[in-house]
Amino acid sequence: MTGFASRRLPLYASLAAAALVAGLAFGRVEPVALAAPFVLALVAAAAGQEPRVSARLALERERALEGDEVKATVVLWSTGDVDRLELALALPAELSVDGGPARALRLRAGEERTVELRLRCERWGAFPVGPVLLRARDVLGLRSWEGSAGEPVRLRVYPGEETLHSLVAPLETQVFVGNQVSRARGEGIEFADLREWQPGDRARRVNWRATALRGELWVNEQYPERNTDVVLFLDTFAEVRAQGRSTNDRAVRAAATLARAYLQRKDRVGLVGFGGFLSWLVPDSGTRQLYAIVDTLLTSDIVHSYALRDVTTLPPRTLPPKALVLGITPLLDHRTAAALLDLRARGYDLIVVEVSPLELLHPGLASSTELAHRLWRLSREALRWRYEQVGVPVVTWRDEVPLAGPLEEVNAFRHLARPA
Amino acid sequence: MTAALVAVAAYGGALADVLARAGSAAAFLALPAALGAVALVVGLRHRGPGIAVALWLGAGTYVAFAVHVEHHVDATAPVVALLLLLATELAAWSVDERLGIRAAPELALRRGIALATLALASLAVSSLVVALSAVPANHGLLWTALGAVAAVGAAGTGVWVARR
Repeated sequence: MTGFASRRLPLYASLAAAALVAGLAFGRVEPVALAAPFVLALVAAAAGQEPRVSARLALERERALEGDEVKATVVLWSTGDVDRLELALALPAELSVDGGPARALRLRAGEERTVELRLRCERWGAFPVGPVLLRARDVLGLRSWEGSAGEPVRLRVYPGEETLHSLVAPLETQVFVGNQVSRARGEGIEFADLREWQPGDRARRVNWRATALRGELWVNEQYPERNTDVVLFLDTFAEVRAQGRSTNDRAVRAAATLARAYLQRKDRVGLVGFGGFLSWLVPDSGTRQLYAIVDTLLTSDIVHSYALRDVTTLPPRTLPPKALVLGITPLLDHRTAAALLDLRARGYDLIVVEVSPLELLHPGLASSTELAHRLWRLSREALRWRYEQVGVPVVTWRDEVPLAGPLEEVNAFRHLARPA
Repeated sequence: MTAALVAVAAYGGALADVLARAGSAAAFLALPAALGAVALVVGLRHRGPGIAVALWLGAGTYVAFAVHVEHHVDATAPVVALLLLLATELAAWSVDERLGIRAAPELALRRGIALATLALASLAVSSLVVALSAVPANHGLLWTALGAVAAVGAAGTGVWVARR
C-alpha cells in the first residue's frame, strides 16, 4: 500500500516549528505552549504503522437482468489493527449501490470481516466489477495508506425483454421442421386442400367423405410445419442518447426479445451488428445460440466511423436465402438505409423496425433550429416512403410503447399488402 | 455539521478571549482574527485550504497578542492552543464526514475518544510548558538550545512522518 500524509501534518509541523522559533526569538513561553499540542499530534501520527490488508471479491452470480440486484461480497483481513478502513468498489456508471459504493469500518488484527454490497444493474452490458480500492487511516486521519486488492469480476447484465404474443411470420420457410406453417404443401397437420389421388399417396391421406361424394379417390393436402431463418439486422452506426435513454438501448432490448421469441419457436436466428464495428452470428437454433446472441448484443456499442460499408462486406452465410431480415434501426445513418434497400433488392423478406429517436430530441426555440428539425423529420418521412415503395413495411417503435404494437402493425401491413 | 459548528465555536472562543483582553490593541488584532474566522468558514464550506489559513491567522493573532500586549506569562496559553487544535481537528473531521462514505457507528466514537485524549494530553503538556517557564532559568543557553532542538525536531518529525 502507498502511504500518504494528511495536509494537516505539514501544517502542524510548520506551525509548531514557527511557534518554537518565535518563542526563542521573543523569549516568550506562550508560542512554545501554543506549539505543544501540534507537536503531540505529530508524535501521535508518527506512531501509526502501515497495515497489511488483503481483500477478496465475489459476486453472487455472473449473469443478471436489467433492474436486478446482485450481491457483491468483499472479505477483508488484516495482520494488524486498522483504526479506519475505507473500501470502495470500482464500478461502471451502469451499476449502482444504495448509499454509494464506499464503506468504512474497523478491522482488528487477524479478524476477517465480510462486507456485502447490493449492486443494482441499471443498464445492460458486460461490466468489470472491482477491484476493491482500500484506504487505511489512523484514528485521527492524519496518515493513510492506499491500495487495491481483489481481482475484478465480470458481470453480464442482460437486457430486459418484452412480452410478445405473436411474431411476424416470414414469407418463406426453410426445409427443417419447426413451428411455422409453410405456404408450400406437403406432410403436416394443418389442412390445405383436396386433390385427386396419385400413385404414391398414402392410404391414410385419403379423404373418404370426398371420395364417397365424387366416386373416385381424393386425398387431403396439408401445410407442413417448418422452421425459418431470421436475421436481426442491428444498426449500430449512430444513436440518439438523452436523459439516460438511448435508441441503441432500446434496439438491443428489441433484438434480445425477438431472438428469444424466434428461438423458442425452433427457428434459426442470426445477428448482424452493422455499424462502425461489424459483428455477426450465423443463424442457428437452440439455447446456446440465444446466449451467443445476447452476449454479442452486450458488446454492441455505437462506434462512430466514416467507413463506407454495404452488405457485400458480410460473410454470405450470415444472410441465408429466404431469410426474414428484421432491420432494427433509428434511421439515422444513410449507410444502413442503403444496405437495407440493397437487401430488399436481393430478394430478402425485409421488415424495418424504426426505433424512434423523436422522443429524445426537442427542437430549440430559435426558428432556424425548428426549421432544421422539420426538414430532418421530412427527410425521415421520405426515407420511409422509399422503403414502402419497394414493399418493405416500416413500423415505428416509440418510447414507452410495447414492441408488440409495431409487430402487429407489420402483420396488418402484410395482410393488406399481400407482398409477392 | 455538528463538528463544523463546534470547530467554529472553538476558534471564535479562543480569539474572542484574546480580543477581549487585548485592550487598545484589539483594533489591530481584530482584522487577522476576523480573516481567520472567515477563512475557517470558507474552508469548511469548500474543503479548501481555508482551514490552514485560519490556523495560521489564529496562531499569529495570539502570538502577536502575547508578545506585544501581555507583559506577564499568559496562563491561558494552553487553553488557546487546545482550542486552535480542536478547531482544526474538528474542521477536518467535518470535511471527512462529507465524503459520502457509509461508516460504522463505532468509528465516530473512536475518533471522538482519540480526539478527547489528544486534547487532554495537549492541555497537560502545554500547561507543563507554562509551569516550567516559572522555574528560574539559570542556564539560559541550555534552554535556548533545547528550544532550537525542539523546533528542528518538530519540523523534522513532520517531514519524517509525511515521507513514511
